[in-house]
Amino acid sequence: MSSPPVDQQTNVYRKMLTAVISSICMGTGFDSIEKEALASLVELIQCYLSELSVICKNYCELAGRSEPLIADIILAFIDMGINFSCFEDYIKNAKYPSLPPIIVQQPPKQPNMLTTGVKQPLPSHIPLYLPEFPVPHAYIRTPTHRQPIIDYESVREKAAIQKKDVERALTKFLAKTAPTTHNLFDTEETNIFPLIASQPNYPPYLSALLPQDQIFDQEDLEYDPKAEAIEHKKSREKKNEAVKIEKVEEELESVKSEENNSSNNFIDNPYLAATKLPNTEGMDVTSC
Amino acid sequence: MTYNEVINITQNIQVRKQTKNLMKTMKTERTGDNCPHQIVSLTGISFERKSIIGFVELTVVPVRDNLRQIKLNAKQCRIYRVVLNEEYEAHFQYFDPFLDVCQSDTETRSLDEFSRYHLNASLKVDPDNNAGTALRVGIEFSLEQPQGGIHFVVPQKEGTYTERGVHLFTYGHQNSTRLWFPCVDSFAETCTWKLEFTVDEEMTAVSNGDLMEVVYTPDMRRKTFHYTLNVPTCAPNISLAVGPFEIYVDPYMHEVTHFCLPGLLPILKVTSRYMHEAFEFYEETLSNRYPYTCYKQVFVDETDEDYRSYATMSIFSVNLLHSAVIIDQVYESRRVMSQAIAEQFFGCFISMQNWSDMWLNKGISQYLCGLYCKKSFGNNNYRGLIQSTLLEVVQYEEKFGGIVLDPSQPPAPLPVGTNTPQSDPNKVLQEEKFYFSIRNLHTMSPMYINALHKKSMLVMRMLEHRIGQELLLQVFNKQLSLAVNAAHQKIGSGLWGHMLISTNVFTKAIFTVTGKDMAVFIDQWVRTGGHAKFHLTSVFNRKRNTIELEIRQDATTQLGIRKYVGPLLVTLQELDGTFKHMLQIENTVVKSDITCHSKSRRNKKKKIPLCTGEEVDMDLSAMDDSPVLWIRLDPEMTLLRSVVIEQPDYQWQYQLRHERDVTAQIEAIVALERYPTPSTRMALTDTIENEQCYYEVRCRAAQCLTKVANAMVANWAGPPAMLAIFRKFFGSFAAPHIIKQNNFTNFQHYYLQKIIPLAMSGLRNAHGICPPEVIRFLLDLFKYNDNSKNRYSDNYYRATLVEALGRTVTPVVSVQQGAPITAENLSADTKAILEEITRLLNLEKVLPSYKYSVSVTCLKAIRKLQKFGHLPSRSTIFKSYSAYGHFIDIRLSALECMVDFVRADGKMEDLHYLLDLLENDPDPGLQHKLAGMLIENPPFRRGHKDKFDLPDLVERIWTNINCMFSHDTRLRCDMVDLYYTLYGGKRPYCLPLPELEGILCLDRHRADAASMNKSRPSTSVFHSYKSPIPNVNTIKPKVESPQKDLGSGMVIEEQVDMMNEDVIMTEEKIIKEEPLDLHVEPSEMMLPKQEYYSDNSVSLPGMGLSGPVGFEPGMFNKEGDSKQKKDDPSKLKKKKKDKKKHKHKHKHKHEHKHGKEKKDKDPNKARLKEETLSSVSSTPSPVGMNLTSENM
Repeated sequence: MSSPPVDQQTNVYRKMLTAVISSICMGTGFDSIEKEALASLVELIQCYLSELSVICKNYCELAGRSEPLIADIILAFIDMGINFSCFEDYIKNAKYPSLPPIIVQQPPKQPNMLTTGVKQPLPSHIPLYLPEFPVPHAYIRTPTHRQPIIDYESVREKAAIQKKDVERALTKFLAKTAPTTHNLFDTEETNIFPLIASQPNYPPYLSALLPQDQIFDQEDLEYDPKAEAIEHKKSREKKNEAVKIEKVEEELESVKSEENNSSNNFIDNPYLAATKLPNTEGMDVTSC
Repeated sequence: MTYNEVINITQNIQVRKQTKNLMKTMKTERTGDNCPHQIVSLTGISFERKSIIGFVELTVVPVRDNLRQIKLNAKQCRIYRVVLNEEYEAHFQYFDPFLDVCQSDTETRSLDEFSRYHLNASLKVDPDNNAGTALRVGIEFSLEQPQGGIHFVVPQKEGTYTERGVHLFTYGHQNSTRLWFPCVDSFAETCTWKLEFTVDEEMTAVSNGDLMEVVYTPDMRRKTFHYTLNVPTCAPNISLAVGPFEIYVDPYMHEVTHFCLPGLLPILKVTSRYMHEAFEFYEETLSNRYPYTCYKQVFVDETDEDYRSYATMSIFSVNLLHSAVIIDQVYESRRVMSQAIAEQFFGCFISMQNWSDMWLNKGISQYLCGLYCKKSFGNNNYRGLIQSTLLEVVQYEEKFGGIVLDPSQPPAPLPVGTNTPQSDPNKVLQEEKFYFSIRNLHTMSPMYINALHKKSMLVMRMLEHRIGQELLLQVFNKQLSLAVNAAHQKIGSGLWGHMLISTNVFTKAIFTVTGKDMAVFIDQWVRTGGHAKFHLTSVFNRKRNTIELEIRQDATTQLGIRKYVGPLLVTLQELDGTFKHMLQIENTVVKSDITCHSKSRRNKKKKIPLCTGEEVDMDLSAMDDSPVLWIRLDPEMTLLRSVVIEQPDYQWQYQLRHERDVTAQIEAIVALERYPTPSTRMALTDTIENEQCYYEVRCRAAQCLTKVANAMVANWAGPPAMLAIFRKFFGSFAAPHIIKQNNFTNFQHYYLQKIIPLAMSGLRNAHGICPPEVIRFLLDLFKYNDNSKNRYSDNYYRATLVEALGRTVTPVVSVQQGAPITAENLSADTKAILEEITRLLNLEKVLPSYKYSVSVTCLKAIRKLQKFGHLPSRSTIFKSYSAYGHFIDIRLSALECMVDFVRADGKMEDLHYLLDLLENDPDPGLQHKLAGMLIENPPFRRGHKDKFDLPDLVERIWTNINCMFSHDTRLRCDMVDLYYTLYGGKRPYCLPLPELEGILCLDRHRADAASMNKSRPSTSVFHSYKSPIPNVNTIKPKVESPQKDLGSGMVIEEQVDMMNEDVIMTEEKIIKEEPLDLHVEPSEMMLPKQEYYSDNSVSLPGMGLSGPVGFEPGMFNKEGDSKQKKDDPSKLKKKKKDKKKHKHKHKHKHEHKHGKEKKDKDPNKARLKEETLSSVSSTPSPVGMNLTSENM
């Protein structure tokens, strides 16, 4: 076909017009047509037909009808100044290939939504013509997986296995990357139970006294059950006696806080005192 | 290094006072107040070189006009100068008998002999034993690489002092202050002190007394700490710690300051937060103020003991620190800290008249500490402590002999009593029985001292029972009040004596306060050793409704046991209640019929009253017709005794179930081990489950149940014992086989949770192996262990689980002979165990637990697997873990495994590895503990032929005790213990008789001499000498142990350098003398002196003439030290030969040396000769010493 396909997006009618123009051109004796020329011609014929139709419609409506008759078309041609009679010859003499009927492409069917769960029926107060409810997961919840097993035993089991796996993987990695390992067996080739050689770590007591095997809250690390008990007692006492001796309490408080402040501010301890600068006397002392 | 134990300062008074042309000697007499003040100033403290330069000034008030000699203690110090009144230089000499304890007797290898020499040596330097115008004696001295007394901790790391945690502190066995400055090292010589320490800017020096001020040095890079101690204090209570300490002032008591190493402040705060309570408790109990104005706690690394208390300060091991998530350590740390505070009152403030009064201070302070522990940890804990202490003392005494708390004075013969004549010879005998002398603090075995401390606490508690607690506290109060009064007086008031306590003073004080004369008690329990042992049997006589008791003391002739005469309390629990009967014990067999209060009427349902007043229901079906439920002997532990009670098993079961006293319950548990019956099992199970029961008892019951269940295994079909109990307490609600998440807020449960798996791991089935379900149970505990929600750390729990895994291991069943053990052919259980252990051990490398407690038990479990043939027995791992630089607990654990390994499969080199550590390890605490392990688990048993039982080993240990450990009394005595364990008190069997050896000697010496001349001294090894094996063999080992030689060689070189320095410093004095090739063959050079001056040379005082082979104290100086091994006195003969060669060449040197030697040898003669020039530095370097000494 000489007529190159016009824009795919153009609608079916335009497509048909293109086919019509092409067949006319072929009938007239053209072998090919440029894309632009074809488009212009299609444009022309579209305008021509549109105008014709509009006029035709006007006459039809003028006559009080809703569907045009042949007479309306004739009037329209006349209106447009076209010699109506020459059409007859044209149709009889010209031999044009007949165009295949237009197959309207079916739009691709949308795949069905995955139906999960059962749609809820409309309640009685809602008329039936209103759209039905969507699938429940869309607005209630989404059961995307199976319910986890939450019984105590298996949770513990899982946690234990996970912990062990992590530890095992970690130690394995460490053993592989360690500079030296000990072997408990005499055979050299396979060391199934490698022991990481311990490196002396100075000072040795630091890592031992500040363990890192578990992470505790700062609170726990300084937890003082006794102080807490005393505090507890105090607060309870305070509540009890609050009404009676509020004033006294306050005084005590203030005294106490003062005390605290003062004690915080200067603790009379020689180790906290500033180092003295040397004077002549001091030099004497040190020199001996 | 020269260990100069005693300095005699001789002073030529003619120079000073024309009127008196007598030489003055000051003898330190304990009665005279002659040294009222001392200044110690340490200026040049160098951590890099581990050296100290210092100066001390003693103010001495002579009590007599004819002061001729001042004897001071100073060991390993190099003395430069002694100046009197800042004007006159004095001559001085040194003498350290510990450098060669046996002196002339080079052949002996028997401890019996050694013990005698050892005592003599100790007495010679015992300041208490050797008995105007003020005179000031100034001494300039230095210490270099001190081997004892003061410890430098200098980690090999980059960084500033703070980053590295570099520090130093003083330590020592009893009175060892002489190791770091010259002083009168006696507990009875008190004086006031001024202490000055100049340290780097970032450092803090903590010492005794009040810190007056801290002053920068003129260059602003160093600081000087000035301390004054106005309370008269004896030298052994002086201490020092220097380091980049973090300072924490106690929030409750601002006079108290805590110090710790950098980075540890948070846990220091936690650890010390209850300390003020101890202070309050003691002040309240003694109704006396804390006698000093301040108190300091310093936590340092590498201590040899957990704590040591000094005047106004205590030095603790850093390993006592813990955070609030740790449970087990808290009890120990608090006990130790409160003990240290108690010793501030008795021990530091109140010193002792003589070391033999040590029991008083130790006893009183421990007694007070016990009262504090009773208050804070409860009565049950206290009674349990007393019971276990009593048991330990009894065990020690039965093994080694009775402990005499105060041996200074024999017990007065009792006016009446048949046993008097018996007891005296007994006592003498007992003293002889020890392989060491108990007559001096520096000869006693550390184990003995340890047991002595425990016994003194028990005796103090006995006193409480005799005179009542109130009155006893009043006695303490009186002592303190007198001392406080005296402390504020001047020395002239003569009251300072009140600050010393002694057995006699104390007895008198008791009499004054209470009106009771305790002299008999003191004689019986303090001046006599041993404990009583009772054996009780009983029969019920139904006809007369009496119970016939028989108390026997059969074993009075056994070691450590003596007859007791006096009252004894017997408690009978009958159906109608508890009845006490006081029996008089007068003979070895005492029979007594006691009428029962209650008729046998067990059919009547009635509650049974207990001693506490409560009434309980009992199931009496197990009883026979006797109305007695159980019998107890001396329930309050008011005597030093061991008790064997025979009663039927149901009585023990009643006692366990219903007696309220924890000690009775524990006794019952111990006894029930012998009765594996279902009812015993029931009683034990009920006890474990009983929430009202003391946790310790429940733990003991669990351990006992293991034994009972094992004995009953043949007819037991149920699940393993205790599994049900454990699941009931700790299994989760939904799945009992899964343990709950850890929650240790209930400490009773915490301890149970730890002990039950351990007890279960001891279970064995009929085949003698651990039941598989127990192993699975344990592995499940590991698997499901979840500490995420716990407030406390589970490190001890995990450690116990590993220990339990180790305990499940039983000897391997099928061993293909000779086939190597590989990982493939392990059993499934063993594989699982091993996997668990390796995983935990590897994990600890990155995530260490508190004190590496898991690693510690992992190592032991590995050793267990090796021991039982599941793993090849190898020591590589243990060796690497025992190296210096690992945490102390890991090292100790690895060493324990090593010791066990050596005993089972070890080679000689493994044993030598251990001995090398014993001799050279930088950590003094480790050395002592290692010695303890070797004694506990010796490489071979005495009298059994063994591959280790070689003369080389004898020589090595002998050299150590004879000369090597002169600086460390405790280690020396440890070695004596070890020697005794291996060879007994007599000459070891593996040595040939000395007579025979004499024949071989000539040859050998020739050979040795040849080898000596060829090789540098450092390359020779100790074991060449006395080995009776033919020559070839003896020389070989020298060559073959290059490692050690290299080590010592290096050391020597270092020392040689220092010596040279020294020589240069003092060169002007030497003038012509060149150092020559001194250090090449120093030993040979030193020897000649003897012969050269043979007419003048005299033996050591009291030693008797020893002929030409005498030993010169000065000869083992620094250089000598590293090759002491070689410088075995036995070698001297050979050296003599050499010395002739060198004689002329080194004439000068010989001269000084001779002078010095002469003095050493005989102070008596020396005194007559005013002109003798003697002086030496007590330096480690022999050469330097010889050269420099001349003109001083």
